[in-house]
Amino acid sequence: MPEIFINGQSVQAEASHTVLQAALANGFFIPYFCWHKSLSIAGNCRICVVQQEGKNWVEIACNMPVSEGLRVLTDSDLVREHRKATLQFITLNHPVDCGICDKAGECTLQDYHFEYNGERSISIDAKVQSTKYVELSKRIVLDNERCILCSRCVRFTREISKSNALGIKERGDTSLVRAAEDGSFDRDPYSDNVVDLCPVGALLSRPFLHQARVWYLKPTPSVCPGCARGCAVDLWHRKLEWRLRALDARQNEAIARVTPRDNPAVNGPWICNKGRDLAAIFERARAADPMLKGKPVTLQVAAAAAVRLLRDAKHPVALVSSWGSNEQLAAFKAAFGDGVTAFVKPDHVPQPGETLADEILIRADKNPNTAGAQALFGSAPLRFPDGTDLVLVWGEGFNFADLPRGAKVIFLDAFVHPENGYADVFFPISVQTERSGSYTNFEGIVSRFERCFKAREPVADAETIFAALGATAEVAA
Amino acid sequence: MPGRQLIMNFPVTATSHALADYRARGGYQALPKALAMPPQDVTKEVTASGLLGHGGAAFPVGRKWQVIKLNDNQPHFLCANADEGEPGTFKDRWILEHAPHLLVESMVITSYALQVRHAFVYIRGEFDLPYRRLAGAIEEAYAEGLLGENILGTGFACDINVIRGAGSYVCGEASGLLASVEGKRGYPRNRPPRLTVKGLFQRPTVVNNVETLSNVAGIITHGVEAFRQVGLPKCPGTQLVSISGHIEKPGVYEVEYGYPLQKFLYDDCGGILGGKKLKCIIPGGISTKVLTAAECEPLTYDKESLESAGSSLGSGGMIVIAEGTCMVRLLQVMLRFYHHESCGQCTPCREGMGWLHRIIDRIVGGQGRPEDLDRMIAISKLNDGTTICGMGDAAGYATVGILAKYRDEFEYWIEHKRSRLDGNLEAIAHA
Amino acid sequence: MKHLIPEFEKWKRRFPAGYESSLVMPCVRRIQEDRGYVADSDIDGLVEYLGVSRMQIEEVLSFYTQFRRKPIGRWHVQCCRNVSCSMLSAEKLIDHLAKKLGVAPGQTTADGRFTLSTVECLGSCGTAPVVVVNDTYHENMSVAKVDVLLEGLK
Repeated sequence: MPEIFINGQSVQAEASHTVLQAALANGFFIPYFCWHKSLSIAGNCRICVVQQEGKNWVEIACNMPVSEGLRVLTDSDLVREHRKATLQFITLNHPVDCGICDKAGECTLQDYHFEYNGERSISIDAKVQSTKYVELSKRIVLDNERCILCSRCVRFTREISKSNALGIKERGDTSLVRAAEDGSFDRDPYSDNVVDLCPVGALLSRPFLHQARVWYLKPTPSVCPGCARGCAVDLWHRKLEWRLRALDARQNEAIARVTPRDNPAVNGPWICNKGRDLAAIFERARAADPMLKGKPVTLQVAAAAAVRLLRDAKHPVALVSSWGSNEQLAAFKAAFGDGVTAFVKPDHVPQPGETLADEILIRADKNPNTAGAQALFGSAPLRFPDGTDLVLVWGEGFNFADLPRGAKVIFLDAFVHPENGYADVFFPISVQTERSGSYTNFEGIVSRFERCFKAREPVADAETIFAALGATAEVAA
Repeated sequence: MPGRQLIMNFPVTATSHALADYRARGGYQALPKALAMPPQDVTKEVTASGLLGHGGAAFPVGRKWQVIKLNDNQPHFLCANADEGEPGTFKDRWILEHAPHLLVESMVITSYALQVRHAFVYIRGEFDLPYRRLAGAIEEAYAEGLLGENILGTGFACDINVIRGAGSYVCGEASGLLASVEGKRGYPRNRPPRLTVKGLFQRPTVVNNVETLSNVAGIITHGVEAFRQVGLPKCPGTQLVSISGHIEKPGVYEVEYGYPLQKFLYDDCGGILGGKKLKCIIPGGISTKVLTAAECEPLTYDKESLESAGSSLGSGGMIVIAEGTCMVRLLQVMLRFYHHESCGQCTPCREGMGWLHRIIDRIVGGQGRPEDLDRMIAISKLNDGTTICGMGDAAGYATVGILAKYRDEFEYWIEHKRSRLDGNLEAIAHA
Repeated sequence: MKHLIPEFEKWKRRFPAGYESSLVMPCVRRIQEDRGYVADSDIDGLVEYLGVSRMQIEEVLSFYTQFRRKPIGRWHVQCCRNVSCSMLSAEKLIDHLAKKLGVAPGQTTADGRFTLSTVECLGSCGTAPVVVVNDTYHENMSVAKVDVLLEGLK
């Protein structure tokens, strides 16, 4: 490990590192736009300049290899002068329309401007105008005036998603990021990552466009349930202190957007587009009331009915949810032990048009916790034993037409389904965003998710229902 | 003639570009000689000759070649840079049109020295006749066993492919050129890694200017000593100077390094157009700093002398500017060019070129402000050494050079909203 | 572009195997020579033939000033406007051409015969000013000579 000196302080650097990496790894900050730890070095933004001690010029840190005894200054007068100048260059044709830009509040350009420049443009000439609201895909719009041509998005489609769907057309100060004309960007299942990658407000999510100022939102750590990868995500929703009172209150309990939370062991800094659309999964019409054969009842009445069914059943079978958290699965196991024959059920199967599986992140198993469920309940395919007289169905994805003739049904689910009213007993349960817990992904990695919202009563967590049913069932036995 | 000649040492005729003529004047004698030497000895000879790059940076050729590790189990590439696009430069065009076999022979020798199986010539797209002459020479060479498999029966194999550019100045920069050969936009690359370590397709690659390479055959044929006797000890050999602008006899001249500049301008090139007085020269393409008539007087044509005056050899594209020429308008033409040619990859050049262009357009439009001139110098300086390739620097040199020496013309235009010299670019009424 | 593939195959033999991407520039140029411009179907064909991404070809077509994706006039009159040519009256020449053809630089005459362009240095500084018609250089031009030149272009 070569010893280098950053601002006079000795640092042991990885031999393969650049000065930028060595600095960041050792707590020194160097600003950067185009550099990204998971992408190739472009070295085009020129903001990461540093100065070697004793030299009267600056060099970019992102492409400077470390070498024994190298002495660099990251914050000298010359470095500051160049960063200031670079920001003057970058904002020369940038509209500085932060007031109407979704990126405001989390924009690297804003941050660096305040840190390193802080002045008005010194240019008095008209800005180069460019195209705005270019629809790069059905999901993403581009404002070329805001674009600083860092090429992160282009490199992402070349090096990570491999769609090669983005490029830079024309040249000079009229260069334009554009999507390939064959529509391949629409088919890139990872396209939305470029919105996060964009250091400015050039690439924006269309569903999120002008929906919220980001400082009103907070991220809650979560796990994407969209497939067995279990990518680490942040679910963004309104901060408690910024709850809307006069406007639609539902917005307070809505997922405003989903972004990847960097987890090198699982997903790195990326997620697929399905993960961006979790709101579409969680915010479907919710089942509100416990029911007996479609008739709304109180939770207590439903629980008592379920206990009776369990007590009377001779051969009860349970279909365990692969969307259940490890904690819920353990609660189920604790409640029923070997008293029921349990099978793990895939709650979700691939939808038409959905990417089945790829070499990047997406797995064919569209459930987050199959591994956790199978660890407790095995992986035997579902076959109802002869004489099955009660089926406890936990979660979506089971076709009631496959029920054994004459069997009673206890059904726990979060959403409105026709089956809810068919079940002898139905319990509305919470969704992932209303509780905390963990999933075990296909590689055995356990990831935790936290609660974003409170479930509305009488919606209950499945583990509470299991505990209630299990306790009374055992007493009865 | 401005000194001894190494390249333009034959009369141009209708057939002087052909193989038979080239052989008749001693061509293809270096090739068998080189192929009989161990490859590293060829590099040693070229290193010992002290040959400097003729494309603009005057980098020692041998030092570039020595980086290539022989027998490292990977392909090496050679690219001849024939993307002659530096305004004022048309010397490589002369070689391509009149001595294409000199380049071909030199490239085969260089390929042998560097263990290159596939060599490329990247020629600018606008060069039509030069391309046809070169392509014709290459076919002749293939037909005679001077290219392809088993060259001259030695077992050495080498192909030369010609890639034609399509209108981009930055492709004349070595790494931009390689990007274009790779079939991409001509975006220059950051160094490190050097191209001799990771160049074309990430393989060790040498990129040399056409004229630079064309000296190799002569060095092998006549030996290092013969080459070093021409020119100066620190700057041996000759430079093809393409001279244009307000000069009586424009064209390409082979100038021996160390030749007096005044003698070249007034004796060899016939003096200033229409008998006018010299205002200044741009010695090596518009990216080199302008030299006033007074500054030119004591100079000789070589690296050291021009650099002592704060300019450089550049690409040998000398532009002569007569008294009465408006430097504001001249700089406007240059800045329009740099703005047009910036590839747009890195921030200072992408934004700076347009900025400079807009400022000078505004000055010419009568809307200039006194602070504009210092702003232009500041923009230029912030492009010096801060960009991926040398283009930002080059535009800066041009701007700073002219503003330093002719600031009064700019100030006049800003104050009076018109040129002191009627915006004139022409020495004499023309056309 | 399919009918050009035999020609490309011939070139390929001299190119390093496995580096087909270096055929992009020659192939695009050849297609343009053949058709006059590069059509969308040519891009598709080249993507398939060379195995490069479509975006790479699209970028190349937009980056280089000589490539075009739409037809232009039969005679492409290109006038250099860089330093040496401007110093020898290129600007007057361009004005004259624009007036004579009735179009501004970058435009094509209504009859589709002429497209007028201004270009940067063509390496013809010693024989300035230069006008290039299609691929042919016409050097040491003047207003009188350019009139004669245009007369000859039918």
